[in-house]
Amino acid sequence: MYRYDKKGPKRGVALYSYSAEFGLTKTLEDCFEDVHDMGAHGIEILANTHIENYPYPTDEWVENWHHLCEKYEVEPVEYGNWIDSHVLGYRDLTTEESIEMLCRDIRLAARLGFTCMRTKMPVINEKLEPVLNWREIIKGALPVAEKFGIKMMPEIHTPTNLKSDMVKQFVDFAKETGTECFGINVDFSVFRTKFSEHEWVDPLYKANDPEDIIPLLPYIYCCHAKFINMNDDFEETTIPYPEVLKVMMDHGWNGYLLSEYEGADKYQDGYEVTQMLRKQHIMMKRILGD
Amino acid sequence: MEKQVIQTVGFRNIVENGEVTGFQFKVRLPYYRGVFLSQLRPGTVIIDGESISKENVLWNVKGEDFTAEEMKHDFKTHWSVQVPAVIKVKKPGGLSQGYHDLTYGFSFTSSYMPPIMQNDEALDPDKESMIFMPEFGHHVNSRRMIIV
Repeated sequence: MYRYDKKGPKRGVALYSYSAEFGLTKTLEDCFEDVHDMGAHGIEILANTHIENYPYPTDEWVENWHHLCEKYEVEPVEYGNWIDSHVLGYRDLTTEESIEMLCRDIRLAARLGFTCMRTKMPVINEKLEPVLNWREIIKGALPVAEKFGIKMMPEIHTPTNLKSDMVKQFVDFAKETGTECFGINVDFSVFRTKFSEHEWVDPLYKANDPEDIIPLLPYIYCCHAKFINMNDDFEETTIPYPEVLKVMMDHGWNGYLLSEYEGADKYQDGYEVTQMLRKQHIMMKRILGD
Repeated sequence: MEKQVIQTVGFRNIVENGEVTGFQFKVRLPYYRGVFLSQLRPGTVIIDGESISKENVLWNVKGEDFTAEEMKHDFKTHWSVQVPAVIKVKKPGGLSQGYHDLTYGFSFTSSYMPPIMQNDEALDPDKESMIFMPEFGHHVNSRRMIIV
């Protein structure tokens, strides 16, 4: 299993970024090669997207997965999964059924060599609050996660604020259980300070200061290095990247920054997300001294 | 795979025991992740203006046929973004040689979206969603097809 042991923030790519191209003009191996080109060593996949015959890949597929990781010097970092307890339209899955679904993903993540999971929780309202039994679901899966050393993390994404009650509840849960197998993935959209003139901004949104991440760092095992706009001088124009990364480095944070591009323009004909990813990785290399 | 949701490859009449019983076509999933069958909301096939309800349509995923009712309860079978599903439409005699205008609608649920976007009206497979989001694709897709 390929492992990259550099201390501090490390560069990786979330393959979700390629969503408009994957399966049409890019294969899984194309994505790996692109990550390798950027000198990045971490990868995030979406289980339900990138694993052939999910949730039951063949041994041949798994063997090829490990071969790709070795060949392109890429470490499996984060396995994106969903607790799909709304999967049936007419009733919610029971807590036990949800635990079973989550444990199936934990075992598969471990089989592929991942150490983290972006565990998306089903929501119950317009504020995107998670299902009421999320604690029971996570607790039920913790013994399996601990056995395999997999860290489950809900993603904290705009318009959610790092100082919100939702984040506090997740951190309190990690403290109360004392587990190292539950934390949060902070998406850098929470630091966004600039919007274009006619862009709709959620009225609930309030940008976080880079320092707001400091008390959360012990619970963050990887981040979504969200970016919106890279200029030709290799600067992100909407999120204060130098300041955010400096705070993280100064506080000794170790983990992966997984580039994630979700701009709708990536679905336009001819768009190739690697152009943006490469610009962003030049920026991160410069800031990290990588 | 073709970029359009309705694929040209796979469009042909279905012959069973020497008799043409209908036609089939393939669709790809215009979402960024695969879905379990119970997440799908299959809609109506419209072929040259004729509507064919979901009761006369089968979905074939991973080589297995599913009725709309079977799909509703199946949260174990997963449809991949990389493999088109085959839509089998019952229509005795099938389609004639030449052009056919095909429209098909389907939608799917998403457990992390706000409830207002997950109710029956928002997910009506035969109508477009209130807001178009490229990574969810369109509910209704149309294409002019050719039978040889």
